[in-house]
Amino acid sequence: MSDLRTPKSNRMPAGSVQCDNTTLNLLKANDFVAKAIKDKLPNLLVVNVCSSPGSGKTTLMQETGKLLRDRLNIAVLVGDPETDRDAVRMKEVGINALQIVTGGMCHIEAQMILQALDHIDLTDTDLLFIENVGNLVCPAAFDLGEDYRVTLIASTEGDDKPKKYPRMFLTSELMLVSKSDLLPYVPFSIEAVTKDAREVNPTLEVITISSLKGEGLDRWCDWLIEKVEEKKAKNQVAQE
Amino acid sequence: MHEISVIRTIVSTLKEKYEGNFDKITKVEIEAGLLSNIQPVLIQNAFEALRLELPELMELELEVKVLPIIARCNKCNENFEVKYHRFICPCGEPTKEVIQGDELQISKVEFIKT
Repeated sequence: MSDLRTPKSNRMPAGSVQCDNTTLNLLKANDFVAKAIKDKLPNLLVVNVCSSPGSGKTTLMQETGKLLRDRLNIAVLVGDPETDRDAVRMKEVGINALQIVTGGMCHIEAQMILQALDHIDLTDTDLLFIENVGNLVCPAAFDLGEDYRVTLIASTEGDDKPKKYPRMFLTSELMLVSKSDLLPYVPFSIEAVTKDAREVNPTLEVITISSLKGEGLDRWCDWLIEKVEEKKAKNQVAQE
Repeated sequence: MHEISVIRTIVSTLKEKYEGNFDKITKVEIEAGLLSNIQPVLIQNAFEALRLELPELMELELEVKVLPIIARCNKCNENFEVKYHRFICPCGEPTKEVIQGDELQISKVEFIKT
């Protein structure tokens, strides 16, 4: 059927075509909603956590929740193509969590976050994690109104990811090298991954962690507390 | 990635911007930066697929232009092309300042002249 088609522009003699040079951003709708989310949450820190599937996002959320229980009120919006298993895992350790089932979609869009905010109680919450769909490609293009984007890369998935998925590492502020307890058993070089990641993003911070053994989690928690305090201080100045 | 939704957004953006003149559009040019993760071939195929569903797209032509990544070096105040995703100026200075390469936009629309 499409073989028979002749585009109109080919049929038109030269000179009969009118041209409009323009700039119409195709991610405008998402960016507009992302801004609305930012405006809606002036006093709590929003961190968008990205990685490949299986890099340890959910385990990290669980352990962070336990470690910071007495210091920060944490909530998690967790995205997956199907099932509410991750939200159940968060709730098991006492974290306020809501599952966003994307219905097969490969990323979370700002609109999904905006809608989810109506279904989760964020009173007194200091820190909201958005656990993105496991994917290093598509989530990189969608601003969710977050203050910071953190990308995990597990020692088991190879140290060549930053060059393969540059936009994700370009748009992140922090890279967490996870599963550090497995480093002795896998061919993964922290130096190589840091060098490649900083060629893509020279200001990227790097922390090495093991959620299961606890290595580096103190640095990660300090980072979070510092950013929460910065955000609150900024909001206070804005209100005065 | 999500090509079909990109095509749908192209159509809805054009309808919003050009309202009554939508059916006079003959060709749309898209600019996709290398960082947008857009593959021209996949976009074209998604467009063909959606055309079967939406007869109003029957006569529309789509062209995707890929834009290279351009970054700015704050040391020499010059722009340079980023190759192999090395955001490092030929002078050796790293940079984060992307001038071009993450855009996904409609850059040109052609109509039948009335």
